[in-house]
Amino acid sequence: MKFTVYQESRPGGRPNNQDRVAYSYSRDSLLMVVADGMGGHLHGEVAAQIATQYIIEAFQASAIPKIRDELLFLSRSLANAHNAILDYAFEKGLPEAPRTTIVACLIQDSVAHWAHAGDSRLYLIRRGRTIMQTRDHSRLQLMIDQGLITEEEAAVHPARNRIFSCLGGTHSPQIEFSSSTPLFANDLIVMCSDGVWGNLEPDELVDLLCDADILERSPRVMDRAESRGGLTCDNLSMLSMRWHDDYAEDSPSTVSTDTMPLDAITTQMEGFARSRLPEGTGLSDNDIESAIAEINAAIKKFSRFDPNR
Amino acid sequence: MPSQANSALPPSFQLEQYRIEQQLSLGGFSIVYLATDAEGNAVAIKEYLPNSLALRKNGEIEPQVTEEHQAAFRYGMKCFFEEGRSLAKLLHPNVVRVLNFFRANGTVYMVMQFERGRTLQDFIHRNKGHIKERFIRGVFTRLLNGLREVHAHKLLHLDIKPSNIYLRNDGTPVLLDFGAARQTLASDTPMLKPMYTPGFAPPEQFNDREHLGPWSDIYSTGASMYACLAGSAPQRSDERIKKDLMEPATKRWAGQYSTHLLETIDWCLELDPLNRPQSVYALQKALLTRSRHVAPPPPSTFLGKMSVKLRALIGRS
Repeated sequence: MKFTVYQESRPGGRPNNQDRVAYSYSRDSLLMVVADGMGGHLHGEVAAQIATQYIIEAFQASAIPKIRDELLFLSRSLANAHNAILDYAFEKGLPEAPRTTIVACLIQDSVAHWAHAGDSRLYLIRRGRTIMQTRDHSRLQLMIDQGLITEEEAAVHPARNRIFSCLGGTHSPQIEFSSSTPLFANDLIVMCSDGVWGNLEPDELVDLLCDADILERSPRVMDRAESRGGLTCDNLSMLSMRWHDDYAEDSPSTVSTDTMPLDAITTQMEGFARSRLPEGTGLSDNDIESAIAEINAAIKKFSRFDPNR
Repeated sequence: MPSQANSALPPSFQLEQYRIEQQLSLGGFSIVYLATDAEGNAVAIKEYLPNSLALRKNGEIEPQVTEEHQAAFRYGMKCFFEEGRSLAKLLHPNVVRVLNFFRANGTVYMVMQFERGRTLQDFIHRNKGHIKERFIRGVFTRLLNGLREVHAHKLLHLDIKPSNIYLRNDGTPVLLDFGAARQTLASDTPMLKPMYTPGFAPPEQFNDREHLGPWSDIYSTGASMYACLAGSAPQRSDERIKKDLMEPATKRWAGQYSTHLLETIDWCLELDPLNRPQSVYALQKALLTRSRHVAPPPPSTFLGKMSVKLRALIGRS
């Protein structure tokens, strides 16, 4: 598995960042998540945090090194994340459960599967064109679909932030799943909160990112969205991932998981206030054996360069 | 938790393909042995044996770990592996080289290259008060080459001190004991308290661990240089923060060493991490130049700025 990934979350003009982005991968599996806690509601930040953390932890527990049923994983982990938010609200005696949008994408064997609720988006960009895109769970999107208003009108519509599906809140989420989508070399997946897409023209994301180095260009996309958003700019989060052919030349920032142990997971989470203790401090006999084997492999590999030996 | 001294494996004990010669050191976390491999080469073997969790009674081989300590013992082992992983990837003449890693006697062992020489600690004791400036500059410039390699691998040493700096017989230094890397992992687990050596650890290592960085190793390097002059460690940094009794090197050894070296040492020993050299390279550059370094933060007054410019001019001529 080879890919380049970039993630960033910014508060924009707001005092708090209620967005969360995270990715996690094992040798054979990659999961990416963007959540946008809903500011108009209580504790939007908490909802986004719980959802992201819950889904990532579910991934860490089951991607060893691969998840057996992708669709089942997405549907279970999102539904359970929703319940985790409700549990939190109940425990704390909150009058109303906090809410968050969610978009999660799981890639294994060069096949992508994603699920979303709300208006955080996923775009699949191939050869300079958006070939797939999530449809917002917003009233506005419904109105567009029914031909009641145009996209241009929607962009400035006062109710553009109203969504009818999310995790948390009083209603069960309506989670929408993608079909299994094969990825090819140089395919680009961009996931972002409305703070990013809402401040860009429809084609801008594609134009800016399609052939570029995403590590260099993604922050500039964020800059542009942030400056358009002005002083009251919403929180902005973006996760962009370029999928590489196995034969692609190694660039130093490319992540290759071929040499990872079967049971290893690497996780990057952005925008979390506190870090948590590493899970599972236990070490089984097999873990010990594999750690020793891994260290000896490294010693052997690096000793080849030792001029004294 | 009462901690008892563990007894070492006896001399001439056959540990896999290695024969134990003698015990080299005993720490809270491990025992280090001198041993010979099948070809008769000398190696150093580090045995994972945390005092507080495992007990090897005299005459026994396998240490006893009680049921309640099992989890912590295994967790510590994970940290021992971290050290192995860190070192396995490092190949540098000034960093100790790992040769093998294996499991035996219910615990794990790390085999390292053994080299003849002595620790800087030992050297300081033998030459108290008579260490030359040339020696200090030479040893530390080379040592920093090794430390640069460590930092380049996104690792921090976090336990640099004279007893972890080994001097080969030809005088070149080797950085030892990466066990402290475990601290980053163990900081939240009560059973394996982060270990540091009072006097050499920077203040952020005591209570402000998210601010650890290359500058933390630089503080310890500065403290080690200070110890070369003083013959002992400077005042503990956690106490310095409350009441700084450490006499600056520039004052204490004025006239005996170049002002530039003394200023460099004081620079490393700044309590505020931001006021120290921020990278090993910055410190190396200072050690390699004869001129005075321009101390950060830059003076804001006109006069101050002029004097800095003047000093830089003098330094260059």
